Amino acid sequence: MLPIDIRPDKLAQEMLDYSRKLGQGMENLLNAEAIDTGVSPKQPVHSEDKLVLYRYDTPEGVTPGAVPLLIVYALVNRPYMTDIQEDRSTIKGLLATGQDVYLIDWGYPDQADRALTLDDYINGYIDRCVDFLCESHGVEKVNILGICQGGAFSLMYASLHPDKVNNLVTMVTPVDFKTPDNLLSAWVRNMDVDLAVDTMGNIPGELLNWTFLSLKPFSLTGQKYVNMVDLLDDPDKVKNFLRMEKWIFDSPDQAGETFRQFIKDFYQNNGFINGGVKLGGREVDLKHVTCPVLNIFALQDHLVPPDASKALKGLVGSKDYTELAFPGGHIGIYVSGKAQKEVTPAIGKWLNERS
Amino acid sequence: MSNDTFFNNDWLDLQRKYWDSWSAMSRKAMGQDGEANMTAPWEDALNHWWKALSPAAPDLSRSFMEKMMDQGKNFFRMAETFSNRPDDGTATNGVAYWTKALEDMQKQFSGSLDDGGNAMQRMMSFWELPLDNWQRMMSSMSPMPGDFLRNMPHEHFKGNLDRALSAPGLGYTREEQSQYQELMRSALDYQAAQQEYSNFYSGLGMKSVERMGGYIQEVIDSGKSIDSARALYDNWVRCCESVYADEVATPEYAAIHGRLVNAQMALKKRMSILVDENLGAMNMPTRSELRTLQDRLQETRRENKQLRQGLNALERRVAALAGETPVSATPATALKATAPATKAPARRRATKTDPTE
Repeated sequence: MLPIDIRPDKLAQEMLDYSRKLGQGMENLLNAEAIDTGVSPKQPVHSEDKLVLYRYDTPEGVTPGAVPLLIVYALVNRPYMTDIQEDRSTIKGLLATGQDVYLIDWGYPDQADRALTLDDYINGYIDRCVDFLCESHGVEKVNILGICQGGAFSLMYASLHPDKVNNLVTMVTPVDFKTPDNLLSAWVRNMDVDLAVDTMGNIPGELLNWTFLSLKPFSLTGQKYVNMVDLLDDPDKVKNFLRMEKWIFDSPDQAGETFRQFIKDFYQNNGFINGGVKLGGREVDLKHVTCPVLNIFALQDHLVPPDASKALKGLVGSKDYTELAFPGGHIGIYVSGKAQKEVTPAIGKWLNERS
Repeated sequence: MSNDTFFNNDWLDLQRKYWDSWSAMSRKAMGQDGEANMTAPWEDALNHWWKALSPAAPDLSRSFMEKMMDQGKNFFRMAETFSNRPDDGTATNGVAYWTKALEDMQKQFSGSLDDGGNAMQRMMSFWELPLDNWQRMMSSMSPMPGDFLRNMPHEHFKGNLDRALSAPGLGYTREEQSQYQELMRSALDYQAAQQEYSNFYSGLGMKSVERMGGYIQEVIDSGKSIDSARALYDNWVRCCESVYADEVATPEYAAIHGRLVNAQMALKKRMSILVDENLGAMNMPTRSELRTLQDRLQETRRENKQLRQGLNALERRVAALAGETPVSATPATALKATAPATKAPARRRATKTDPTE
């Protein structure tokens, strides 16, 4: 038997099928119309500069807990990943468990935001959102759920303001930035971040996208479009694909000074491990994080390897530390069917037991 | 589907008929049992079909469909290269055939095979995908195409250029001459970094071919066979991705990656300096001046916000001491008007470059 035995007639048939699917798929692509993102009803309750704090509507029949849950998303990409479609929504799952969910939308920084620093984000924006929630709910502390870079922000915040954080959930959050399998960290180490920020002002989302797609260029910029052809005859699948495609390429620019500090303090100097991160004149020390911590990571995460997240254990001062390993990837932890069944209910249960 | 678009049912019918006839003709050409050896013009046929279809497609759909066409071509090229069966159909010759195909792929990567732009050469461009991604990204961030230096001669002229760029500027325009020399030096450095990046990938292409050979050997050992273009393509992608993952984790690649990004930034910085010089000459605000203002403004805003936060805390304390109800103790209610977050228009559309050409 030949190892490669593609009969000409079969090859012709494959190409015929491929082209037919493309042709027929055009119909579904045209009918897909505008791609909606963020499906759960929400209201803006507070805003400052380009930041908008949203409160999600509590579903009928659910009584929300007294302590609000603030979601701090990364500055990279857009937070609607957490609420991307009706049947794949972390937000919806959290609401169902009785959380009063708030989410910070950082907006799209432009050159006028270039001088924003990490201090402005952590001790400024996040702290004022927390104050707003404490005041409006009549509580002294809130629950925080930090996602990816937003998890690192939440850790810094909880370290500097331990009196305002009731419970902390970190999801796919990098803590040790120099694990051997962290490609991003290895690449960034040789980058002259001062030159990049001094030149560009803000760091363009396109540059970050290129970096992320370069982690798996053939799968992420080639093969997936071949796979897409197989979905073209299903309008719902086409729409879901396009929704994800939009999210992937919907990359805000990064405020230059914040990017400079984040890359230097964490990717280059591994600040959570080695110390030396100072915000507003105060040192970030994870030993000051004394509230209960739930640390969730994805076992097949190629952006934030599991070991990068698991390093949190032993660094925080909390006596109530829990880990949850999810068998999936960096995105799957929000959008996969398995995550809806396993991750979100687990977060809700963990919070309810401690609120 | 609405009838006010080109893609109505009539058109789809027409398109299906075209493909049905094409398919029938190709089968006839190959014989009823499909065993006849034939170098099928797969890509030409696909291109022909797409040329007929694409002009009427809306821009949005067209660019999306083009991505799928590009990748479709990649996997049919792969099949075209490997599916030409030997005349006698014996296993021995078959093994010899794909061994030769793999050798040709290696030669292609090492630059020693010029097959007149046929399928092999075009298939090898698959490994230019990472470089193409970089060029598209740079095009979106720059007034110049991302590949504007790619085909400029470098080594041949480097010595002479270095001498010319080292010549000291003289006279009243000395500084200006010096700045243009710096710009040229930065452009040459970037070109060298880009070349180094490109060379790194051609090395990986050869390793991928080796890994593909190993995979084909596994198929032989298992007594199975690869019988579809799609399976062949998927395995080629898997081999490329695994070689890529191994190699980009090395310190060597991290250094190449760093040099590419840094060289690009250095070039952009030189351009910005010259733009600022020209703006200043026209008595217009420069980027440098704007940044100074942004920094000062942000410092002031930071202080203001901290003061306001402190003041609010004091007011709450005073109110508590006086036994008054704090101003806001009700659950958060919706703001009346908040503009939805939107991104500024793209600075420049990515330049479309076909990685297959």
